[in-house]
Amino acid sequence: MLRKKTFAIGICILVAFSIIAIFSPLLTPYDPYKIIETPLEKPNKNHVLGTNALGQDIFSRLIYGTRATLLIGFIGALVSISIGTFVGTVSGYYGGKIDEFITRAIDIIMTIPMFPLLLVLSIFLTPNMLGISVLMGILGWAGFSRIIRSQVLSLSEYNFIYSVRAMGARDPYIMAKHILPNILPLVVVKFVFAAQNYMLMGVGLGFLGLGDPSMIDWGQMINCAYTNGGFALGMWWWLLPPGLSIAFLSIAVSLVGYSFEDEINPRLRRMVS
Amino acid sequence: MSLLKLTHLKVHFPTQDGIVKAVNTIDLDIEENGKVGLIGETGCGKTVLGLSIMRLLQPDTRIKGENVYKGRDLLKLSEEEMRKIRGKEIAMILQNPTTSLNPVLKVGDQIAEAIRLHQGLDKRAAKEKVVEMLAAVKIPSPEKRANEYPHEFSGGMRERVMIAMALACNPTLIIADEPTTGLDITIKMQIVRLMKEVTKQRSMLFITHDLDAAAEICDNIAVMYAGELVEYAKTEAIFKNPRHPYTQGFLNSLPNRGLKPIRGMSPSLIGIPNGCRFYPRCDHAEAACKIQHPEMVELGNGHFVRCLQYDRS
Repeated sequence: MLRKKTFAIGICILVAFSIIAIFSPLLTPYDPYKIIETPLEKPNKNHVLGTNALGQDIFSRLIYGTRATLLIGFIGALVSISIGTFVGTVSGYYGGKIDEFITRAIDIIMTIPMFPLLLVLSIFLTPNMLGISVLMGILGWAGFSRIIRSQVLSLSEYNFIYSVRAMGARDPYIMAKHILPNILPLVVVKFVFAAQNYMLMGVGLGFLGLGDPSMIDWGQMINCAYTNGGFALGMWWWLLPPGLSIAFLSIAVSLVGYSFEDEINPRLRRMVS
Repeated sequence: MSLLKLTHLKVHFPTQDGIVKAVNTIDLDIEENGKVGLIGETGCGKTVLGLSIMRLLQPDTRIKGENVYKGRDLLKLSEEEMRKIRGKEIAMILQNPTTSLNPVLKVGDQIAEAIRLHQGLDKRAAKEKVVEMLAAVKIPSPEKRANEYPHEFSGGMRERVMIAMALACNPTLIIADEPTTGLDITIKMQIVRLMKEVTKQRSMLFITHDLDAAAEICDNIAVMYAGELVEYAKTEAIFKNPRHPYTQGFLNSLPNRGLKPIRGMSPSLIGIPNGCRFYPRCDHAEAACKIQHPEMVELGNGHFVRCLQYDRS
């Protein structure tokens, strides 16, 4: 019961954010990039959240920021989970020398701290939003790949895999048709948590001023408020909304992720209910 | 004529604790249309022997000897050539039907898979064939059952599905690994009868520790102990006149023959000592048994035994 409720709440918030992201142009009263008013306006009936230091409408920028955050999380997770699933499956299924090589390679990759590397790379490559999210995905697949490997390793020793091989099936076919459906629940759960992680990371980059300058994201908004005296002037309507949005979105994704996790892990399920 | 001929087949697994000599120098012939029962206790290498014939073991396994099927040594074929033999020429029924079916795929789709891999039928034709196969293994209302998942099947029904999968491509040889284990006695007899019926025109290697089932189905029986064959003879001869002390002990341990266990434990397959492998558990052991490893000798009429009692020449 609890599981269903948390899932429902999470998915509702997530759907709401997605609708906002998709229909941003229809929901915003002003062009978020355009300077339309005197800077640093307090909230009034024309500008619900006032204007920023350049005179742009903060509410419109908040709405547009949803897009960047959601996209970074989604694309980043897609890239990292795809690579991780592929590498982990190949490693676990074939075993032997291939597995040994991949496992050692992952050990090495895992020792590299990801966020600092991401910082350095995004300074050097000055990528756009798509580039940043793909970069995150490329840097982040190793840990996940290890989890998949261990699952596939035990799955490969199951009789039904021997059974399909005894029928004369090719390896790629077995991996796609028999291994993948069995690890899919795990992949979905990990996808959700990866997306959450990358959303927060994207916001973090934005806050440090390393995001895509042509896109509006919540981290960048907070950074903007911070550097332009929003904190000093106590303009909470400038700072709080992006912060709260991040928190809300993150919680929603967590709720969805945890309810999926309960679903695939019977031991957790018993503890919850 | 012999269909499958194993000559000096050895299967060794390198592990951290040493080399596990799971199968040692097995010579075995399966005639066309012949049914050979391979019996022995758990862990004696029966299943490994079956898997090694199909070449389904891990790539780092060391397999030596010859494994000649229809004049071709299977150990020398490329993976792609071997793939064409699996399922189509030689099919395997793996042990434990509970874990031998993919839990997330429909039963019908799993049988269809075997058909489509080798026969290039389209989906519809494959589906018809599936229903036909399910009917052949006597599963009631096969159209409906084809769309169900493995967990909706009972143990006996799953075993029937496994048999249907093995038969799907009309193989010449079937390797059945303990198909009657874990079934209750009435279901077991049904499965035995079914297997007997579907293998009328085929050869079979019937791996089991169920002697009743083996007696019902097989013409010849090979007794395996600690990775090697210790006795090979016609089924009747094995039951009426077992010659090897292990075979005698095995038969005496059956419920209807006194339930008398063989003392001791089967040996570890790492670091097997010289001499007779059964020596530590044997009631007829002599000093020589500890030192000299007996060879397989023929006692006449196709009865072979590996014991120093008979190897005095």
